[in-house]
Amino acid sequence: MSDILNTLMRDSRVWQGHRQGHTSHPSEPTGYQVLDNQLGGIGWPRGALSECLLDAYGIGELHLLLPLMKTVADRGKTVFWLNPPHTPYAPAMAREGVNLDQVVMVRTDDQGDVLWTLENCLRSPATGLVMAWPGNLATRDIRRLQLAAEAGSNVCVLFRDRQCADQNSPAALRLELEPDHQHNLTVNIIKRRGSWPGQNCSLAMAHRADLSFNEAPRVVEGPWPTSRR
Amino acid sequence: MLWLYLHFPHLLLDHIRRSHEKQQALVVVEGSGHKVLQACPVAQSQGIRSGMRLKTAISLCPQLQIARADQQQETRILEDQARWLYRYAAYIVLVSPDGILAEIGSLQKLYGGLSAVWQTVEQGLNERQLNAWIAIGHTPLAATLIARSGQGECTADSGHIQRTLGQLPLLKAGFDEKACQRLQRLGLDTLGDVLKLPPKELAKRLSPEVVVHIQKIQGSRPDPQTPWQPPHRFRQQADFVQDIEQSQGLLFPLQRMLQELEDDLCWRQQDTDSLLLILQHRHEEPTRLRVRTSGPEHRAEAFLKLIQIRFDQSPLRAPVMAMVLSVQRFIDREAANERDLLGTTQDLNEAWHTLISRLQARLGSDALTQLSPQADHRPERAWSASDISRHSGHKSSDDFASLPRRPLWLLKGPQPITEAPSEWLSGPERISGGWWDGQRVHRDYYIAKLNSGQLAWVFHDARDGWFVHGWFG
Repeated sequence: MSDILNTLMRDSRVWQGHRQGHTSHPSEPTGYQVLDNQLGGIGWPRGALSECLLDAYGIGELHLLLPLMKTVADRGKTVFWLNPPHTPYAPAMAREGVNLDQVVMVRTDDQGDVLWTLENCLRSPATGLVMAWPGNLATRDIRRLQLAAEAGSNVCVLFRDRQCADQNSPAALRLELEPDHQHNLTVNIIKRRGSWPGQNCSLAMAHRADLSFNEAPRVVEGPWPTSRR
Repeated sequence: MLWLYLHFPHLLLDHIRRSHEKQQALVVVEGSGHKVLQACPVAQSQGIRSGMRLKTAISLCPQLQIARADQQQETRILEDQARWLYRYAAYIVLVSPDGILAEIGSLQKLYGGLSAVWQTVEQGLNERQLNAWIAIGHTPLAATLIARSGQGECTADSGHIQRTLGQLPLLKAGFDEKACQRLQRLGLDTLGDVLKLPPKELAKRLSPEVVVHIQKIQGSRPDPQTPWQPPHRFRQQADFVQDIEQSQGLLFPLQRMLQELEDDLCWRQQDTDSLLLILQHRHEEPTRLRVRTSGPEHRAEAFLKLIQIRFDQSPLRAPVMAMVLSVQRFIDREAANERDLLGTTQDLNEAWHTLISRLQARLGSDALTQLSPQADHRPERAWSASDISRHSGHKSSDDFASLPRRPLWLLKGPQPITEAPSEWLSGPERISGGWWDGQRVHRDYYIAKLNSGQLAWVFHDARDGWFVHGWFG
């Protein structure tokens, strides 16, 4: 086979259905062994876009990224939060051990500025992780971001609405996040580069509110039903 | 002592010409605007000479660009030149309006000979696209006279200098008209003739001022000069003959100004973190652009990129007739102490500063913030956002491990709850405080799971009812 074909095969740029080889893409472990296993031993891809698709905030989506945030910040690289929907609560992050000196919030209203900022952050070697809540993005824009991400070697996670799951996207990794009836987070892999999608796993997220996993939910007799209404 | 004199025959012309990309015929006219004082080579090739009437010049070349001579402006430009010359020579005297005197006797050893000094100065002039006539003399006045006559040569040989001086006609030797007439009546035509006469005879026949002048040329009378000290600030101005309407057109002169700033900063071993760019308009208030970098910087390229972003952000309000770049804040350079063997840390620091400066230039400096915990019991006051700064020290996380469990998302304001939670998980935790500053808070916090599966931080306020204050993200 020619050299070009060999290279394409090795980098798994050509998708081969019958063989699921380990890809040689640079990546960062997610910090959750279960999820790493589902992702074929690798984690968040570096130099590529990842998407997290979810309906509502508060289901453990930040805890999914917390181990990566910690390692990146400890390495002296910067973590950018671009247009987060709520205020990231500094005492909680400090408690989890994230070095807040390396965390930078960026807020901008203009959609053009959002893309520009993302591109610049992704290309810089000072960046370690970019988390963005970009709102509505056209496929063209994601394509542009994917190219910018390839220019650097940073992890970029876009948080998007779950309705976007049906749409086509050039992102290298697409995860669908759902809460289950316990306090766990179910992760469905919609797409991953170089391998079959369709795996899913459940990550224990009860620790995010200090809830012991085995303990039966302790019902607090709130004054809810009686006091006011 | 040995003196070097730089005579700028058409400083204003050079100054304006180098701010323009395209070379067009340009003349400088006197204040009243009737007579041409200086003409650039392009204008000269079309037949325009200095001393010509402006009307004649315009009829020779209809596209002629005209700049008006301005005393103040010339002084300022001369000072700019003294500033760069000060890097090479310590003892500098400004001779308004068009000359700079420098003591170079003490520099020969440093540069390795007189010709090296001469070359350094000539190179400096070339880099700045300036024309100057240079001359060397043993007294300040001798150097001045030779330079103004344009016959300066690179030699310290006193015989040669005396000969050059001797050949100067009386009018070029700095005598006033009355003294000239008097000397010519005596049958003296050149300075050499005057210098040959015995001093006693001269003193008898000529006025004391003329004698002092002659003695100063010869060096038999002290001619003290006040040295000039550069002010500790940077200021560069570009003047345009035609107003510039597009910001793109400002980049070309800006590049040169920033390069000079870089040289200046390198020479001072300093950095800066804020530039002030003033764009002057003909009929409007000047536009003031303050460009900040996130850290100390000296590279012209980095400044230019930031300014470019600012120009992209806001187009020019009105055509620009002049542009001033000034820097007043200087920061001493710190020795890089974090550098490891391969220098990677340093690069990372630099990349960080570059990135943050770029973002701040485009988005505004308040778009970027850093968060930190604050010592307060009230959740909305337990954090603060501050401006970006690079901390290298890593605070130990042990300090924060004792903090109570809090959600990672805090809502910007408590939101009234719309549905009954499906599950109550923990609580209540009472937070009560703020009586000391009037922002009283008295709440019972619970962790609850909503029907949508979200874990919420809910509180009950004794007065207002139930609210969601955070999400356990």
